[in-house]
Amino acid sequence: MLLALRLFTHLIVIVMLLPIMMSLPMALTAGSYVTFPPDGLSLKWFISLSQDLILMESIGRSLVLALFTALFGVILSVPTAFAIERGRLIGRTAIETLITAPRMIPQIVLVLALLIYYEFVDLAETFTALVIAHLLITVPLSFRTLHVGISSLDHRLEWSSAILGASRARTFHKIIVPHLKTFLIASFTFAFIISFNNVTMALFLSAVGERTLPVEMFNRMYVGGMTPVLLAIGFVLAVVGAVTFIVLDRTIGVLKYLSGHN
Amino acid sequence: MGKQMADLSPAMDRAVTWAKEFLARPTQWGALVAPMLVLVFIFFVIPILYLIRMSFAEQAFAKSVVPIFGVYSLENYAEIFGDIFFLEMIVNSLIVGTGTVVATLLISYPIAYYLTLTRGWERTLILVACLLPLFVNIMVAVLGWYILLLPFGVIQNMLSALGLIEGPLGALKSSWTLIMVLTYEHIPFAILILAASLQNVARDKINMARVLGAGVYRIFLTIVLPLTMPGVVATAILVFALSISSYLVPVLITGQQVMVLPIAIFSYTSYLLNWTLASAISLILLVIVAGITFSLTILANRYTRRGEWEIV
Repeated sequence: MLLALRLFTHLIVIVMLLPIMMSLPMALTAGSYVTFPPDGLSLKWFISLSQDLILMESIGRSLVLALFTALFGVILSVPTAFAIERGRLIGRTAIETLITAPRMIPQIVLVLALLIYYEFVDLAETFTALVIAHLLITVPLSFRTLHVGISSLDHRLEWSSAILGASRARTFHKIIVPHLKTFLIASFTFAFIISFNNVTMALFLSAVGERTLPVEMFNRMYVGGMTPVLLAIGFVLAVVGAVTFIVLDRTIGVLKYLSGHN
Repeated sequence: MGKQMADLSPAMDRAVTWAKEFLARPTQWGALVAPMLVLVFIFFVIPILYLIRMSFAEQAFAKSVVPIFGVYSLENYAEIFGDIFFLEMIVNSLIVGTGTVVATLLISYPIAYYLTLTRGWERTLILVACLLPLFVNIMVAVLGWYILLLPFGVIQNMLSALGLIEGPLGALKSSWTLIMVLTYEHIPFAILILAASLQNVARDKINMARVLGAGVYRIFLTIVLPLTMPGVVATAILVFALSISSYLVPVLITGQQVMVLPIAIFSYTSYLLNWTLASAISLILLVIVAGITFSLTILANRYTRRGEWEIV
């Protein structure tokens, strides 16, 4: 019984990894079409990827978008999480529900609502609009991460700091920030990853010449079908994802964080 | 906390006073929450309300701005519920959503259970494999599945070797494929919730049952499964909501073969440019998701008699 369970688990492990690994052998093809098995080996599609200015531009755009989103997310979340944790606000639960609500409803509904609304308030197809949309979907997670961190802060440390004559700003700088460092990094990183990887928001909201990387990929696949260049960028993204995962595990122990402490 | 504080030094008292003073000014705290609330209100609450209004607009508006207090009509909903094409789409969506939930649970629960039994490299390997898709752009997995499902590709060769299919496939572009890929996409979320849920089952209870002579199946059915029911329901709700509203996989992998609601929303928004109809379809999607979430929660509350759990 246990053996069967074990075999099943390892089978699924392979199935989980397979689609992510698939892009490498196929991207190394020497042919011009995606066929299985690949037509000989060459690096030509990786070279043509690096010369593809539109794709390169979209990578830059995605990175900037993710950076802004994560940064604003943290800036908005820190005070909010503090106030919710410490201030005896009326309707705390309601506020929390409201903040997490954008992640509770289907993204395709949210993005349609935003698309229509942006037209209405004249924000359509702007970068600001995209950052706001990404903020809405990342803030629930960055907020929650920081909330966990802040609720684990020991009040007495702050009080001690106040007793010893530190100003509130100094207390924040010397006590709170170092203590929250891990959570700040985690919050920023999660928001960055979600934003960088999100397709839905930018697909509906970005202007034609200003697509983000996943949307550029979507569009090429939707319009022109599969090409080896797409697989090359896919492989690069798979490596980036895996490296992010390893780094996050080494620094903030994301595996432990995600799988629950033992 | 208060009782302990009374015994401490006067300096501590000063600190408590300082803290109390700080807390006594609710406006200060309010100001800290304000930016976030303003953002969510202006860019979430209002747009959703406007979407609802839009779905009740006349189709003549198509893509132009609909006045809030203008004419309300049921034109869009009448079109959707009067057309067999849309009704089939709703049914398809429900089938795909339910199928994905069932498949995801059947695969993820055993794995999450196995995770509680194993340690060391094996545990790490399983976690890495199952959580890696969360960190890799979904487009990579979509590309991967596209290749696996290519005509004369890996899966087809495998299936024909097993004698399950003959000749070229078109059959691979079916609801089964859609359910399979969506299941793949949502296993990481399910494992996260279920593993946490299973780890919270107290060892004592299982040991106690074992001492009292219960077998493995009995322990599972009477202790583990009921105690992890909240996790199962949370997974079901999340996976249903995510899979029924997924459009990347339907649009890119199965295409027009399996018409589901998100495909309609996508096409009415991006090239058919009928925003009022798209609004109505997405409202129906929203109502389905909300309805399932609500009824599953009620059902689970009645069943487990435990009111609160969190949805990731």
